[in-house]
Amino acid sequence: MNTTTLRSSLRLAFAFSAATAAAVAAPLSFDFKDPKGVNNVQFKLDAPLEAITGTATGISGKVSFDPAKPGATTGTIVLDAKSLTVGNPMMGDHLRSDQWLDVAKHPTITFEAVSLGNVRTQGTATTAEVTGKLTVKGVTKDVKVPVSLTYLADKLGARVNDPKVKGDLLVLRANFEINRSDFGIKPGQATDKVAETIQLSLSIAGAAPRA
Amino acid sequence: MQNRSRLPLALRGAAVAVLLAGLGTWVATGAHRGWTQTSAVTMQKDEITGIDYPVRRDAFVAGVEIPLAAAGLAAVLAGLSFVSRRRPVAGLTPAAQS
Repeated sequence: MNTTTLRSSLRLAFAFSAATAAAVAAPLSFDFKDPKGVNNVQFKLDAPLEAITGTATGISGKVSFDPAKPGATTGTIVLDAKSLTVGNPMMGDHLRSDQWLDVAKHPTITFEAVSLGNVRTQGTATTAEVTGKLTVKGVTKDVKVPVSLTYLADKLGARVNDPKVKGDLLVLRANFEINRSDFGIKPGQATDKVAETIQLSLSIAGAAPRA
Repeated sequence: MQNRSRLPLALRGAAVAVLLAGLGTWVATGAHRGWTQTSAVTMQKDEITGIDYPVRRDAFVAGVEIPLAAAGLAAVLAGLSFVSRRRPVAGLTPAAQS
């Protein structure tokens, strides 16, 4: 191998390494639309006369996550309000009606992550406090939500049962509470049957496929 | 005469049966404190992500309105049993006998 060929090979190797490093260091965009229907939000309202529990699975949205800088995570998660379901169909109709969430007029519930604080990373798991904007029934409030993020590199193929599919997964979990009166949902009314505090539990996974 | 005396007993028996059926249904389906549910959730775990997710299936879970309605119906039946016992019988009243 002559000197020119060696130099060319070294340049090529350097360029490839730099490109790979840049690709790894760049934030990944995770899509949270889940064809498996696993992503879910569970909600509970524990009033003196009645406990209401329900689920929702109509989740979408995109999150930008850099495994090297989890604290720089931003993104938006959108919940289709029509997917809110409770065990009693009549109660579900009331929940979605203009008396309560008015899903015809406000079809989505949105959380926009603006910044992360108290970030602690251990291995592939990160815990943090997300500051963001939560929009429910057209009312937007600033909220702080404790969240855990788990980065699962090269697990997309296993999740979709196709080893040819390359990509990563990001799992987000959050448990927090909101007050319905903050979002103009019948403030102060029927609190004996419909609790003022709504307990929310979010468990979602996003996918970042690689070409 | 015999049929007339059996009616209150039958009504009271029905009241007890309705009350027990309502309570029994409520207890047997989990003594749920809220309204009747027509579906229930079981949790499953996604192996790859570790996410617990709800799977909703059709199920009847009696709410508190079932035993309450049963108690109301039982009270009506029991009340009718007393009314039927006290109703004067045509042909056996003192005026009819004289």
